[in-house]
Amino acid sequence: MLRLFATIRKEYRLLFRDKMGLGLLFLMPVVLITVMALIQDTPFKDYQELKFDILTVDNDHGRLGRYIREGLDHSGQFRIVDSLQGQPVTQEQAKALVNRGDYKISIIIPQGATGAIVSNANKITNDLSRRMGLPFMAPVRLRNDSLNVVIYFDPAAKKAFKSAIHQALDNFLTQVETDLLIERIQQQLKRKGAAQQDSLDIQLKAIGLQEQSTVPGGGVDVISNSVQHNVPAWSIFAMFFIVIPIAGNMIREREDGSLLRMKLIPGSYLAILAGKMFFFVCICVVQFYLMMLVGIYLLPLLALPKLEMGHQYLPTLIIAACIGLAATAYGILIGTLFKTPNQALNFGAISIVILSAIGGIWIPLEVMPAHMQQIGRLSPLSWGLDAINNIYLRNGGMGQVWKQIGLLLGFAGTLLAIAGAVEKRRMN
Amino acid sequence: MYSIAVQDLHKTYNGSLEPTLKGLSFAFPTGKIVGLLGPNGAGKTTTISILCGLVKAGKGSVQVLGIPQEANYRERIKRALGVVPQQIALFPQLTAFENLEYFGNLYGFKGPALKTQILALLEQFGLEKAAHKETGKFSGGMKRRTNIIAAILHRPRLLILDEPTAGVDVQSRSMILQFLRDYNRSEGVSILYTSHLLEEAQHLCEDVVIMDDGRQVVQGNPAALINALPACRNLEDVFLHFTGSKLRD
Repeated sequence: MLRLFATIRKEYRLLFRDKMGLGLLFLMPVVLITVMALIQDTPFKDYQELKFDILTVDNDHGRLGRYIREGLDHSGQFRIVDSLQGQPVTQEQAKALVNRGDYKISIIIPQGATGAIVSNANKITNDLSRRMGLPFMAPVRLRNDSLNVVIYFDPAAKKAFKSAIHQALDNFLTQVETDLLIERIQQQLKRKGAAQQDSLDIQLKAIGLQEQSTVPGGGVDVISNSVQHNVPAWSIFAMFFIVIPIAGNMIREREDGSLLRMKLIPGSYLAILAGKMFFFVCICVVQFYLMMLVGIYLLPLLALPKLEMGHQYLPTLIIAACIGLAATAYGILIGTLFKTPNQALNFGAISIVILSAIGGIWIPLEVMPAHMQQIGRLSPLSWGLDAINNIYLRNGGMGQVWKQIGLLLGFAGTLLAIAGAVEKRRMN
Repeated sequence: MYSIAVQDLHKTYNGSLEPTLKGLSFAFPTGKIVGLLGPNGAGKTTTISILCGLVKAGKGSVQVLGIPQEANYRERIKRALGVVPQQIALFPQLTAFENLEYFGNLYGFKGPALKTQILALLEQFGLEKAAHKETGKFSGGMKRRTNIIAAILHRPRLLILDEPTAGVDVQSRSMILQFLRDYNRSEGVSILYTSHLLEEAQHLCEDVVIMDDGRQVVQGNPAALINALPACRNLEDVFLHFTGSKLRD
């Protein structure tokens, strides 16, 4: 135990003597998660949370145009722009402005659109009346031209954005057509002397949608927002960057002969290594909680949501320690494999960036292609993030994170075994 | 009893076609100061690494302080062995006292006894005033002296020094060499020492082993070797006589 504690004290002294290095070790991750949470806030927001200017050209001047304008306005998602500098927007103007990227979206309501919908509703009503033996027939158009509401998108618009807008407009059109149809049927029924108050529209709303929490026991229900994703994700990324000081520390000890001296001292080198690992795992855990504090207290001051850490504190601590252990073991392997600090720095830093990119740190795994998701699930950073999400978002406990704990411990054990084998091979 | 007895030692590193040691043999009794000399690439570092148990020997036999190189050799030899590596094997951000305290702790020493011993050794090496100064700020000579203290904290029976005076000033070198003589005489510690400073070796060592190309080329008392070769005026001449003047990489 003396060797273990002496090594922990030595590492503590070494780190705390290097004030600049110590500051950077804790400050840079804080800066990183703050910046990442800020810049990734918008992409993480649902489209419903954002407001867009929508150039509207209403060539119909009828009910459809009014419905669509009211519907868009009512959704709170769009600001209708139908005139520029006091002049109504034309279709050509709208097309050019959207193409230039000045507006994200424009809709063109064609002339006669309302008439087409009314005619269609009359046609259905006439058909129903005929079957019911009613004499009145509403006027219908003889021409059967199909009309389209035209949408222009900024060429740089994302597919998901286009899809969301398509869906929203489609809903408005369906709603207008449904309303007109019901109105026509009601008029026919009135002519037949049916009750003024009927329940058609009520019946149409008989089944609704209700989102309910899947969280066990009905506990916290946290929305995955930029803070909920970025703070744990980039914390794990920053924790893995501990490989740089660890690998540098090991290479330095090998180069300056102190590793040789330690190996020549009676007793197992493993006790010294354990002391070193324990110290760096503690640093990782402190880093982790410091970044969580940033998510809870600092980010809300920057108009970002507050981080919710769930209610499972012990599993969170265990997961943080396991991530730290995996990162430390990775640093020890790199420090063993590479001969110079430059080699270790380049490989260490770039490999962490790759592991984080495929592991869902930059963007969630769910939005990656299927084959990349499979590769990503091999990244220890993804195991760590999964475990944290299980606790923070799904309110899980040890039962939901033991698999990730096992994977992280297995990863650390494997890397240490490889480092041991490499070191042993060097002796020969 | 021999401090070190090496017989027909061979070593070829993994992945290397050329053997580093090609039947090295030498031995010297306990309590002597012996110089292991040779040009670059002669195999001195490999020999020391094998003696310390850091590298496995190939063919041949090795005995250090009567301990044969077999299973668990490294653990058995560690307690009796003090090694001063060529590099300054200290943590530059730690003070001399903290460095020595750490290595003392690794040996299992602690508390006031360790502190007293460290302070006494620092005083013996003229470093008492610099005890709480970071070793990274030491001069080359101060670092070398601290490097030696770290190797003798546990009172070894055999001290191996790899170029202990490389790059130090005359005063520090004189002090280090005098310490080694006194330490050998007062404690009866055997010393194996490597250096490229042959004048230093001539004055310090009771015996020298000159090796080249993985073999021993000659062993004997420096004065006796010089006298045996009429053309040689000093150990450097003897060295060049046996190893030749060809440049080594």
